Amino acid sequence: MDNFLEVSNLSKSFSGFWLQNISFSLPKGYIMGLIGPNGSGKTTTIKLILNMLKRDNGEVKVVGFDNITDEKAAKANVGAVFDTNYFCDEWTVTQVEAAVSVFYKNWDKNKFSELLKRFHIAPTKKVKELSKGMQMKLMIACAFSYDAKLLILDEPTSGLDPVSRDELLKILSEYIEDGEHSVLFSTHITGDLERTADYITYINYGKLFFSGSKDEFTDMFRIVKGGRNELTFNLSEKLIGVRNFSTGFEALIRADDLKQFSHLDVEPATIDDIVVFTNQEGEHYE
Amino acid sequence: MKLIISNVSGMPIYEQIKQQVKSAILSGELQEEEALPSLRTLAKDLKISVLTVTRAYTELEQEGFVKNVQGRGCFVMGRGSELIREQLICKVENSLSEAIDAAQMADLSSQELHHLLDILLEDKKNG
Amino acid sequence: MNDTLKAAKLDFALIKPYMKNICFTMVIPVVFAAINRSLMTGVSFAMCFIAMTTGYTFSVSEKSGMDRLYGILPISKKHLVFGRYLYTCLMGFLAFLFSMITHPLVLRVLGETIHPVDICFAIVLGILMFTLYTVFQLPGYYKLGAINGRIFMYIPVAGFLAILLLASKLNLTNNPIFSALTGNPMISIIAVLLVCIIAYLLSIIMSIKIVQRKEM
Repeated sequence: MDNFLEVSNLSKSFSGFWLQNISFSLPKGYIMGLIGPNGSGKTTTIKLILNMLKRDNGEVKVVGFDNITDEKAAKANVGAVFDTNYFCDEWTVTQVEAAVSVFYKNWDKNKFSELLKRFHIAPTKKVKELSKGMQMKLMIACAFSYDAKLLILDEPTSGLDPVSRDELLKILSEYIEDGEHSVLFSTHITGDLERTADYITYINYGKLFFSGSKDEFTDMFRIVKGGRNELTFNLSEKLIGVRNFSTGFEALIRADDLKQFSHLDVEPATIDDIVVFTNQEGEHYE
Repeated sequence: MKLIISNVSGMPIYEQIKQQVKSAILSGELQEEEALPSLRTLAKDLKISVLTVTRAYTELEQEGFVKNVQGRGCFVMGRGSELIREQLICKVENSLSEAIDAAQMADLSSQELHHLLDILLEDKKNG
Repeated sequence: MNDTLKAAKLDFALIKPYMKNICFTMVIPVVFAAINRSLMTGVSFAMCFIAMTTGYTFSVSEKSGMDRLYGILPISKKHLVFGRYLYTCLMGFLAFLFSMITHPLVLRVLGETIHPVDICFAIVLGILMFTLYTVFQLPGYYKLGAINGRIFMYIPVAGFLAILLLASKLNLTNNPIFSALTGNPMISIIAVLLVCIIAYLLSIIMSIKIVQRKEM
């Protein structure tokens, strides 16, 4: 089995929102960033993967197991981190272990206590007394203690300070180092992904915009900059998104159209640039 | 071997790795048959994507600098390797033409230039 | 460990911080039993009180956003429901056991004599009342959640009052069904147990349907 996550034609409609035909796959041993502005469908996608929402259509395979017909096996192999913790506030860390460990055959007690030491989490502390970063690490420690093959993180870095964010990225790089684990990481703080992510899946307004390697993603686009009079009608038709200001313009173009813009300042595009300019709001981004 | 990544150089990260590995090989810092850092460990240490390192290593292999042994890692090819020799010759040519440009600006004759080269070679030989 | 047991264990872990309060509530019915000099009053109060705590698991998990934990644990929704019923019944059973031991003791100390028929009646009524309360409460909590469904906490109070009212309206001593039941204690216990089992089965089916339809 080469893919630890396979999503095909996943669809779900709510009133006023429609996630349409999302397909992507995450090979084993790599980190994938799931990006898109707020409300684009990232959390919905993750909840559908975990079968916390009922899909209308499509198929999901988690570590080779169908997420509905083989739900138990799928979940025994997956760990999840959400933006806020999901343990009982009143539990101590030790009680968290006692409550959760019975559900996993391969729970490793020693590994859990090692991880607590490494993350500087006191076992006697109550969950509600832990900082946000600590709570995140506690969720990770649990997932690692039953050796989850796939770790899914939903906006784990929102509300974290830079130190904790950096620490998380370090933990994730170590996690996939052996080539036997994968990470799906949803975030709107794309700086987190700029270096460490291998793959990017970009969902925009419920539709799949791109899924593939991160380099391929950023290579597809360029940022051009120039004076206002340098932007002819022909050129402006090629822009994906543009920001006009009194002394010039800044725009996102496809790398394929690069030749026509070669007389202007061209820079590589960051993930952030792409997300910003490919959203309608990009046009009013001033 | 020193391997560091700059965020402001504008050069893609895989290219930065390639350049640094190449110069380590050409300078002799990395010897023949020596192993490059493991792909995944390097990715972890530099906090970069595994695919980025994979790309750097694959391109180094295509250019004949290293050889990928399945399951064992990446090893430096001998400096005698044809491709590396070519690279070295290319480097010599580049440096020489730079020297020629400077010589022309300084109005050095061809004879004087040859003479300079001989002196430098002699110095190198005597250490 | 069986999945149902694991889920029940998780529920016990949830109410652990509240265990002290719950234990304390179990002392009050002892006092009622003593004041009224009646085992039946004590036991019915105890079952009413313990049934009022069945919402705790729902409110604690809702407060801590544990839906997501339930979503990622390798256990089916069905077994989570089974586990909660098991937990609820066990809590009821513990309260029942505690009352059936302490109340007669206290009454004895106070000089009351307890007839076997009193005990039999307390058993039947205790089990029946607890079942009646909880079979409605649990699906209600599943449907509405602990906060919106907090009205279900008062089902036991309403049920208790209703039974009191009913008992005062009906002339118990002349009621043929009642005398038939008191005449055959064994049969009446079996009948009550059967009714309880059927009621729980229906309630469990309903809860599972609600949970499976629910999105987190």
